[in-house]
Amino acid sequence: MNDAALKSDTQDIVVDEVFPHAPETIWKTLTTGELIARWLMMPTTEFEPAKGKRFTFQTTPAGAWDGVIHCQVLEATPNERLVYAWKGGHEGNVGYGSRLDTVVTWTLSRVENGTRLRLVHSGFVLPKNGTAFKSMSEGWKKVVRNLDSIAAEQDSSKPLH
Amino acid sequence: MTQTATVDAVMRTLADPTRRAVFERIVKSEEITVAELTRGSGVTQSAISQHLRSLKQAGLIADRPEGRNVHYRADPQGLAPLVDWMALYAVFWRDRFANLRTLLKEIDP
Repeated sequence: MNDAALKSDTQDIVVDEVFPHAPETIWKTLTTGELIARWLMMPTTEFEPAKGKRFTFQTTPAGAWDGVIHCQVLEATPNERLVYAWKGGHEGNVGYGSRLDTVVTWTLSRVENGTRLRLVHSGFVLPKNGTAFKSMSEGWKKVVRNLDSIAAEQDSSKPLH
Repeated sequence: MTQTATVDAVMRTLADPTRRAVFERIVKSEEITVAELTRGSGVTQSAISQHLRSLKQAGLIADRPEGRNVHYRADPQGLAPLVDWMALYAVFWRDRFANLRTLLKEIDP
């Protein structure tokens, strides 16, 4: 096996859309505590777009994890770029609530009729082939225990967690 | 994004509390028949059969016919879309973008 094969495989989620609003308006919704709560739909502690600022989101607990997502602003360039760390979960969990050490990056760029908003949520460690399902049979019961909360919230279109 | 579509299907299927209860009973037993699932469930056998069809369609269960009985068991692959954060967040962020669009329309018509 070479080095690349031994490394954990991480992947990103990308959502990229154009909004018919100015970058300044979008920046405001991404960085104002009261507005964040309205679109992100998770209770959050006071947010400030300042490098180093720590804040949290409260989601549904799972196992030994209290459901708190710990964030820290890594970069904030007004109307252009906002980056924060997004960490949570616990080693003892499988699936929902497992260890999570990721980064959320928002990039705003002015386009003809508004703003292109690009979200990159990076650093997801994907289970390697095969072993995922072996460990899953162990964690099967845990997954089922978490199902109720996940599916119920999805149903009532509340936050996914 | 096929993975996201699958998460949606699994979520939709399990959003129904009765169906979720049926699924959880199947998970807890090695194999189980419709008659066994109906007993003590408080729902009719035809209702159970309908839930079984939905669960099978979503890839959550597999069946094994034997004589006049059909045995159902959980298909571990079926929950795969739910086991990683990435699949969950793919749906999460897409929903949040929709919220953001609605909110922006409100504050900046």
